[in-house]
Amino acid sequence: MNPETAAKPNPIEQFELVRLWEHEINGVEVSFTNASLYMLLAALGVVLLMVFATSRKALTPGRGQAAAEMLYEFVAGMVRQIAGEEGMRFFPFVFSLFAFVLIANLIGLFPYTFSVTSQIIVTFGFAVFVMAIVVAYGFYRNGFGFLKLFVPHGVPALVLVVLIPIEIISFLSRPISLSVRLFANMLAGHITLAVFGGFVALLLGAGAWAALAPVPLLAITALYALELLVACLQAFVFSVLTCVYLNDAIHPGH
Amino acid sequence: MSDQEPDKDKAALQARLAKLNDALRARDERAAARTPTEAAAKGNSFGRAMSAGLNVFSEFVAAIVVGAFVGWQADAWLGTKPWLMVVFLGLGTAAGFWNIYRIAARKAPSYEEDETPPDGKA
Repeated sequence: MNPETAAKPNPIEQFELVRLWEHEINGVEVSFTNASLYMLLAALGVVLLMVFATSRKALTPGRGQAAAEMLYEFVAGMVRQIAGEEGMRFFPFVFSLFAFVLIANLIGLFPYTFSVTSQIIVTFGFAVFVMAIVVAYGFYRNGFGFLKLFVPHGVPALVLVVLIPIEIISFLSRPISLSVRLFANMLAGHITLAVFGGFVALLLGAGAWAALAPVPLLAITALYALELLVACLQAFVFSVLTCVYLNDAIHPGH
Repeated sequence: MSDQEPDKDKAALQARLAKLNDALRARDERAAARTPTEAAAKGNSFGRAMSAGLNVFSEFVAAIVVGAFVGWQADAWLGTKPWLMVVFLGLGTAAGFWNIYRIAARKAPSYEEDETPPDGKA
């Protein structure tokens, strides 16, 4: 977020990918970009929180350990509640996903940082990964019984002809809605913040109107609180929906 | 603390620990039953409204996009332009409404609550 750089603030400049280290393998570009850097930072943040904060294993947890334990219990409770005891085999996956998205969202809230989750390819990658696991595990566990997912019971055969394609399309739309939801929330929030930041800059440069400059500044403060909520909420929603879909893989019967 | 009756002290301590353990477990269960709603209930209503709006938007649009894409590709393969696309676009729109209906049904008791899935079974 650096809206005040140019004379004309550009609210989407913050999403620009910058190659930090250009590289190619067989004509496929694998440059190390700022997105890669911030993904590494997010992963590092998770590791710092989970490994180092809990390394002392104090009986009375310190601040870091308490945060790590709360996070663990929160996700464990969520997985158990939604996907059942059997869903706990996916706990490491869901926890990694939740922690990574949460930390990435939170890192993106710092001014001048890059928000990884505001890139749709990142969220889409996660969503496709989730759906691949759901489909693979669904077939592995239930065989073709997994296809019962698309057949709502208690519906007359004539309606099924229409309903099954609808269910299939609805299922196929899940990775898209899952990724677009996270992406759109982060994108919209960051653009809003940058636009309001731009207002401050423009008002300051507009002579007497500079007296009004604190107004959007106050709005930014309020929006920041909102963005903090959205960052946590969307990480939570992403992992809740992951659990809901995993539950479908475990119990495909409607 | 006097050490005159260590056994009694120990027993009392055990009893207290057991009591505490029960209380903690009960609290955990209550917390586990409540966590998703609690997290969503926090924060201001504008944040929740925006989140819910984008939620419905993404569910609805995604289904239509998928329907259109499936129809388009099927047309390209089978050479039945434009009929399958028309059909699948309609089905996709239906699926979009179906998605929204499911969201609405899921949070029927308090519709403004954000994405709390009390029933994953759906």
